[in-house]
Amino acid sequence: MAKHSPVVGRYVTFEVDGCEYKVFYLQNGRGAPLVCQHTAGCHNHQWRGLLEDEEITRDYNVIAYDLARHGKSDPPLNKEWWKEEYRLTADHYVNFIVAFCDALELQDPIFMGSSFGGNVALQLALRKPDRFRAVIPVEAAAYAPGFFLDVWRHPHANAAQVCASGVWDLMAPQSPDRDRWLTWHYYTQGSEAFRGDLYFYSVDHDLRDSLAKIDARRCPVVMMTGTYDYLTPPDATEQTASGIPGGVYIEMEDIGHFPMSENYPVFRVYLKEALRIIREKTG
Amino acid sequence: MDIRDWAVRFSETSDADPAIGAMARYFTCTYLLDMGAAQVIVEMIDGKVYRMNIAPAPMDAYDFALRASPETWREFARAVPKPMYHGIWAASFRKDLRIEGDTLVLMQNLRNFTLQFELLRKVGVPV
Repeated sequence: MAKHSPVVGRYVTFEVDGCEYKVFYLQNGRGAPLVCQHTAGCHNHQWRGLLEDEEITRDYNVIAYDLARHGKSDPPLNKEWWKEEYRLTADHYVNFIVAFCDALELQDPIFMGSSFGGNVALQLALRKPDRFRAVIPVEAAAYAPGFFLDVWRHPHANAAQVCASGVWDLMAPQSPDRDRWLTWHYYTQGSEAFRGDLYFYSVDHDLRDSLAKIDARRCPVVMMTGTYDYLTPPDATEQTASGIPGGVYIEMEDIGHFPMSENYPVFRVYLKEALRIIREKTG
Repeated sequence: MDIRDWAVRFSETSDADPAIGAMARYFTCTYLLDMGAAQVIVEMIDGKVYRMNIAPAPMDAYDFALRASPETWREFARAVPKPMYHGIWAASFRKDLRIEGDTLVLMQNLRNFTLQFELLRKVGVPV
């Protein structure tokens, strides 16, 4: 029997730094906007569990977009992008997210992102504390070196499989096979963007000397990391959160670097706690 | 576990694994597992274990090698490995696993090699 999901998808076109982007997003729920960024080289289906979470979508307007060049969001329509190597910068990434929130006229959104989405959440807290009600950096750290690798798009290897299996053990062995393989499947679809995303993740993002400038009273920061994350292990996140005045750290047991996608039932327990803390801090 | 028994068990389990079998064609490479007290060269051809060399000689060839302490290999073989022992990337970033040789060959076969490596959780290790 056919069953429709309450989740709907739309496109919105806007300009960022001279780039015209037609951006695809999924949306469900009502209330406080909760804007969700997928991980590097992936797309918004990673948030499928949250988008259909009846309890959370009762109070939150969950919006999960595809960053330009990912999923159904094309590269810039007004540029010959194929003539340049793609390298995402912190400046452009921050500008994109703010422009997206402006395009949807979102008031006081909470921003949540995982991995390179978590790292940009820290950038937003630093640069745009008054545009966001709070940020939830998931699997993030002040600095995350080591993943800007040529092998992600080496012409002598199957890049789809290299990216998908290269991130396989970022997930916890306890996470269900079905969801780990879905995450693997999503990762086969974004290999051309993966390495360029990781330029931001491992190179351009470096807040080691800036954490104390993040004002978590203006923009609360609730960081969450899984115990099976080897890229930003729990101690890296804990150290980052402790460097932010007012920063909060939550450790997630038995889950990895893609918590919302690899094991949503476990992730939602921690997410609800993060949202409770934000409500407490922001009213 | 005797290394001969282990080699037979590993080969049979790998050859019967449906996820490897689903994309077996061209899974062809030769690699060394260096566990300190035990070393084995695994030769794969089209998704099947063609040969297990359990007494490698100094000049025996392979494409790439995985080297770690026996303690690390025993952690790999737990049914549910502890964090940072749950894969070759995790252990090479955070533990004593070293990946050497022609790593491009590893990347060309990464999907199936990753599945095969996780079979250690079922078959154990000979150290």
